Formats: sequence, structure tokens, C-alpha cells
Amino acid sequence: MGEEHIAGPEEASWILSTLERDQLVTEKAAPVPRRRLGGGELFVLWALRVYVVFMMAVVFWQAWSATR
Amino acid sequence: MTIVPAEDEVVVTHEDIDRARDRAKVRAARMSHSLRARAWLLWLLIGPGILVMLGENDGPSMLSYAATGAKFGIGFFLPFVALTFAMALVVQEMTVRLGAATHRGHAELIFERFGPFWGWFSMIDLGIGNFLTLITEFIAVRAGLGFFGVPPWAAILVALGVLYSALLSHRYWTWERVTLAAAAFNLIFIPVALMTHPHWGAVGHAFVTWKPLPHLNQDTVLIVLSNIGATVTPWMLFFQQSATVDKGLTTKDIHFGRIDTLVGALLAAAAALGTIVATAPLASHAMNAASFQAAQFAQALEPLIGRYGAAAFALGMVEAGIVASITISTSSAYAFGEVARKPHSLNLPVNQGKSFYAVLGLCAAAAAGIVLIPGLPLVFVVLVVNVVAVLAMPPALVFLYLLVNDKQIMGDVKSPRLANVVAGAVVVVLTAAGVLYGLSVVTPQALAWLGAR
Repeated sequence: MGEEHIAGPEEASWILSTLERDQLVTEKAAPVPRRRLGGGELFVLWALRVYVVFMMAVVFWQAWSATR
Repeated sequence: MTIVPAEDEVVVTHEDIDRARDRAKVRAARMSHSLRARAWLLWLLIGPGILVMLGENDGPSMLSYAATGAKFGIGFFLPFVALTFAMALVVQEMTVRLGAATHRGHAELIFERFGPFWGWFSMIDLGIGNFLTLITEFIAVRAGLGFFGVPPWAAILVALGVLYSALLSHRYWTWERVTLAAAAFNLIFIPVALMTHPHWGAVGHAFVTWKPLPHLNQDTVLIVLSNIGATVTPWMLFFQQSATVDKGLTTKDIHFGRIDTLVGALLAAAAALGTIVATAPLASHAMNAASFQAAQFAQALEPLIGRYGAAAFALGMVEAGIVASITISTSSAYAFGEVARKPHSLNLPVNQGKSFYAVLGLCAAAAAGIVLIPGLPLVFVVLVVNVVAVLAMPPALVFLYLLVNDKQIMGDVKSPRLANVVAGAVVVVLTAAGVLYGLSVVTPQALAWLGAR
């Protein structure tokens, strides 16, 4: 986090009139709560992960062959 | 030092104060409903959408459009490329809503909402794609300036000089305006297209009928993937969401964020289609442009459009490379800061954002350095970069889909059904394109059979 200070009343009032409170850097330090992925969602994510790994291998093989 | 405030106290940073200054102008512009005030408000709020779209008209993308025009002329690929920009518009609009509603970057949300396991997968996809793309941006700059006889080392220094100069103000607003001004130069491909005296009847016919259709073979599939990868890529999701957050947009600004993205898509589509039209005469002259690099297209066009036209084409390639190197290295720095929980904003002074500026600067310097190493097979990188982007996109889109439909973080701006249907269709189209490409490589006979049918 960058250099921070406690705002005086006037500065605090100006900041909060221009920014939403959850836009403040210190407020964003709190993590977003974790969400549990469902079975269907996990299936899609794993299927796409396998797809990406396999296809990347195909791409690199083809490009490597083309440049040799 | 971390300050623990009392409940009614507000802890602020330099970054908050700079952002509040920008937002104060937006608040003041909102007070009036005159046409002039609305125009001023639009001017204040545009930026991330235009930057991401024109930034994606980068070196490999313009090269891909140039190769498309030179190989296939005016036909199927004109409406096809327009369609890819429509897909990009739908997808990028989601990142505006996500950033405005959560005030968090894309990498940060994936890590925190779905955990580091899936977060690291996304980061690996992003990291590989961004670094490979950055290399190609410097290849484009080197080739473009090479047209004017500039030696490679000087071309790379120019690109790095512009990139670092844009950061000097340490203000998001100034950085955004400087980069927007540079990005506007992307439109130079439109006058270049006009200089070729295109056959407007053929252009109109192509948009209405999508014809002439190309033959279905390995080259065509590669061009299809390259053109998709030229408009929808993972870095765009990460960049626009992080830029939306850094700019300080809120849910009240989503409408303007949509206009920003739409204007960006229209401008970028015009430049992309202009490039296809500009190089289409090479197809009618039966020019073999299969292995052309950026400057070679300019040289090939010179007899048709003259020295000035060819120079404009080469300068367009330089601009495409420089602007994309700025936006892509910034997207890497945002993502690193979000994941490492380090300060990440273009509003940070250097002493408060050392890691952010270090990642941004080092990524660019490393990619630029690679381009200068003699004997490296750089054509390998140019060949794969857009295809890699298409392949990495479906998982990125699924995370985006899950996030924009998450009522807990999106509240009232969660995705409507129509946007979800379109996003689902984009995932299916991209995955199908990837599978078709895989078929063309692994079993070319199957593709030939499909093409015959």
C-alpha cells in the first residue's frame, strides 16, 4: 500500500463526496469473500483447461515445424 | 506503514487523492444537463474502451489484417472481421460493469473469488500471452521504422522512449490522454485504404453476401484464428477492467463506459477493415504475401499508392506496436499488483509504486531486448501469438461470465440474460474455431473432407 494518512475532517468530507467509500485503497485491502464453485462450473473449467493445454502443444508443434 | 483508523476516520493515500481530483471534475460536469456539459462529461469518462480497442489493433493484428487482404482480397473476411469486433464489444462491456461495480481488477477478483488455484492458471495464460504479444509489438516497430532506414536498435529505443515518457506524469489521466493521442494515429490505415481506390461495389457486396467465400484449408483456418485473435484476447479483459478501476468509474458511469467501448470498437473496426481493403490490391495482382512482414507490405504497396502512402502504412505499423506495447505492459503490471497485493495504479508516484512500475518497465524492456538478439526465430512468435490468444480466451471468458453473474459482487448490474446468451455463443465460437484449427493440424485430411462438403 502507498503512503497513507488519516484525513482531516475537511479532506475526508471532500474525498468521500468524490469517491465511493469502497474505492479507497485502504478499503480495497479487505479481500472479496471466496465463492465455492459448483460441480458443473468445475467440469467446464477443467474441460477448458485440458483443451488449452492440448491446443497450446499443437500450436507450438506446428509453429516449430514451420520454422525449421 | 499501515495506519489503523478509528471507525469514523478516513485513511487516504496519494492514489486516492489523485483519483478524487479526477472524480471531482466528473461530479462538477454532472451538475449541468446542457449539451455542452454532457459532451464534457463524455470527454472525461471515455478512455479505457477506446484504448483497449485501438490497443488491440496492434502489430500482429494489423499484420494479420494485411495478410488477409493480400491473400483473400475483398470478400468473406470483411464482414467476418466486423463480426469479431461485435464479439469484442459484448465481452468488453462486461469488464466495464465488473470494474465499476466492484472497484477491483480482473486478476484480483479471480484470485479472491475462486482461489489461487484457478487464479494462477489465469495468470499463466495472461503472462505467456502478454509476453509473446509484447515481443511482436517491438517486431512491428522495428519493421515499420525499418522502412525509413532506421536501424533496429534505434527503433526499439524510440518505442521504449515513448512508453516510458507516457508514465512520467504519474497520473492516470495524463497517461490515458497521451496514449489516446498516440492511438488515434491507428486511423491512418483508413486514408491508406482510400488511396488504393477500392471497388466500393465489391465492398458492399461482401458485406451483404459474405462472398466470395475462401476455400476451407489450413491457411484459411489459420487466418480465421488470427483475425479472431486480433480482436478478442485475454489481456483486453484484464486491461479494461483495471483501467476502469484506476480511472475511478462507478456504476453511475456504466452508460458512458459502454459508449466509450462502442466508439473504440467502431474506430478499431474501421482501421482493421481499412487495412484489409488497403492490401486487397495485392491479391488481385497475385502477389505472394504469405511470409510478408510489416515493412514488406508497405514496400509492396508503394507502386500502387506511392511513397507517401507506403510511408503512412509503415508508420501505422509503428503506432500499432508502440500503443499496444504501452497497454499490454500496463495490463501485466496491473495484474501483478492485484495478485501480489502491491500498489497498482498509474496515479502512484514511483517511490510508492516501485513494483508496479518495475514490472511494467521490465516486461517491455525484456521483450524489446529479445527482438534485438540476432538469429532468434522471431517469425515463430509472430505465427503463434494470435492463435495463442484465441485458445486462451474461452477459459478467461468463463471466469468473466461467472463474475458478471455473481449477484453478491455485482448487485443490480449483474448480466442480463441476452448478454449471457451472447457471451455463451462467443465461448462456443472461439472453442469451435480452436478445435477446427486443431483438426487442420492433426488431421488435415478431415479438414479437406469438410471443405469438399
